[in-house]
Amino acid sequence: MSRPPSRRATKRAARKERRAARALAASTIMPPEGVPIHLPVAGLGVRTGAQIADVLFTMGVAISFTVFLAATEIASGSTVFAVFMLLFFIARIPYYVFAELAWNGQTLGKKWMKIKVVSHDGGSLSTHALVLRNLMKEAEVFLPGTLLFTLDAANPIAALASLAWIIMALTIPLTNPHRRRLGDIMAGTHVVHLPHPILLKDMASDQPQDVARAVKERFAFLPHQLDHYGAFELQTLEKVLRAEGRARSPAARTRQQETLVAIVDKIRTKISYPDPIPQADAAAFLRAFYVAQRAYLEQRQIFGDRRDDKHHAQDDENTQE
Amino acid sequence: MAQSRPKPLLQSQDQIRSARFRKEREADWTRLEKLVAAAERNGLQSMEFSDARDLSALYRQATTSLAIAREISLDKGLLEYLEALTARAYLSVYAPQERLGGLLTRFFASSAPQAMRRSVWYILAGFLCMGLGALTGYLLYFENSAWYHVFVPNSLAGGRGPGASTEALRNVIFQPDGIHGGLGAFATYLFSHNTRIAIFVFGLGVFACLPAILLTFYNGLILGAMYALHVERGLGWELGGWLSVHGVTELSAICIACGGGLQLGAAVLFPGQNTRRTALYLAGRDAVKLALVASLMLFAAAILEGFFRQTVQDTATRYTIGWSVGALWLAWFALGGRQR
Repeated sequence: MSRPPSRRATKRAARKERRAARALAASTIMPPEGVPIHLPVAGLGVRTGAQIADVLFTMGVAISFTVFLAATEIASGSTVFAVFMLLFFIARIPYYVFAELAWNGQTLGKKWMKIKVVSHDGGSLSTHALVLRNLMKEAEVFLPGTLLFTLDAANPIAALASLAWIIMALTIPLTNPHRRRLGDIMAGTHVVHLPHPILLKDMASDQPQDVARAVKERFAFLPHQLDHYGAFELQTLEKVLRAEGRARSPAARTRQQETLVAIVDKIRTKISYPDPIPQADAAAFLRAFYVAQRAYLEQRQIFGDRRDDKHHAQDDENTQE
Repeated sequence: MAQSRPKPLLQSQDQIRSARFRKEREADWTRLEKLVAAAERNGLQSMEFSDARDLSALYRQATTSLAIAREISLDKGLLEYLEALTARAYLSVYAPQERLGGLLTRFFASSAPQAMRRSVWYILAGFLCMGLGALTGYLLYFENSAWYHVFVPNSLAGGRGPGASTEALRNVIFQPDGIHGGLGAFATYLFSHNTRIAIFVFGLGVFACLPAILLTFYNGLILGAMYALHVERGLGWELGGWLSVHGVTELSAICIACGGGLQLGAAVLFPGQNTRRTALYLAGRDAVKLALVASLMLFAAAILEGFFRQTVQDTATRYTIGWSVGALWLAWFALGGRQR
């Protein structure tokens, strides 16, 4: 007997769901074509990582170039100092602006972390936006940061003020779902993870033609047997089937086989499939069930009956009440 | 959805609808993937015409495929792939296409002076802040010269103060700077006190104007107190010349940065019918140009300070250089980018 979930657990689940919905809403961008696409918002951690990588890189270049100049004695002391100061200046704002302009919203650190600046309204990035967001970075993070390092205990008020300033600049991203800092808000941009397209094979049509037909004739499913599950279960089954046959060690293969058999038993009980399935046929049965279930659900969906998961029948009743 | 490509009927008959859908378009998607990779690697500019044309055409096809797939397919692998592919293609199709040269020309020829004219009241407010500060500093110094130490930080005073002799003050103004000159001095001045102030003033403007006003006012106080000190010793005219060389440009830059900051602060304080976020976004359009103009002026001021301030010893020449450069700036702001 299963106990009803405690109140706290339901609350937690509800909160999790809300958070997922918010993340999905935040990741949606509407390009001019009018088909919304999803680009997951990059968190503060990965952005800080990219920033640190950028700082290390630019400072590394500036310092090594200066050391090279000083060591080869091409220039005098004051010129070396001037060159260093110029490089240091370039490494603070112009580098970010020009890198993001040239590489469409990516600096070297961002490339390395596979994140990217995008325009918040779905259009293309404007120069104005890139200049503004990097100019504000100076005012938001770098200046108070360097101030914090250079100040000493003799002047606690200034140190505290710049500390409060940094904390405030870092809390602003946490208060909005797109994790935009002040410069992002003003420039109308935010930072996203770059998605990586990998075309997986279609589980419904990757078998040779004759095998597929033979399987289809062996396992037949009636419409009422396909009424139990929804898209969620179907896609979970898809994931299981994709993993099938990939196991390397014999032990892993046995475990996988056991999982498949367990799934077959569950499904057979649920849809009251009469014929027993021999263990060797478990994978073939699941494949056939996957194809039949997907064809059925997709057809229902075309007719306007979208079934998200196995609770779809109850949901329908609730809406009718 | 029907395509002209001949297909073995038997094969596709057996497949379910979404699998057929995928099979018909798969080749296009793979080609789009290749084109996107090429565009990301080398940029759209270096692509051949046919490739660039195909990229945008295939991208639009892919968005349509995505919209259809969301309706008819439950194949998660396919949906995720299309989602990622369309997003990647979108990012490279809508990449900024402007050349750097064109950007710079546009900034100098039209957008910067236009932004300056649009925000003339904010900039005047910036000048007002500094002017009032200077006046206050000047008057307070004559009331009690001890105020000087309150206003002017030691690092900036460089030994100049009410205790210093008139001769020492004159030396600072006319000393032929041997050690600091040329490129080294230029770099030093670039990161001097005023540059930092300008960046602070702009960035702090967002926080409801007040920090920007205070900082500019304070900068005015320093100026006023220092000027009063020299007037007291009968060196007012000479100090004016010494400051004019770079000061006309540099102090104007601070006031302009203050104007930009005020614009941002005003958007936060009085957003009007917009939300604060939108108001900030709208105000940012001009404010960022003001900040860029200010940084450009600071750069010019560092050149003037590094190369001309100590090499030109004649006070009248100093005035001429400083104020004619100022007049050039003003001409750019007033006349640049007008529609003919």
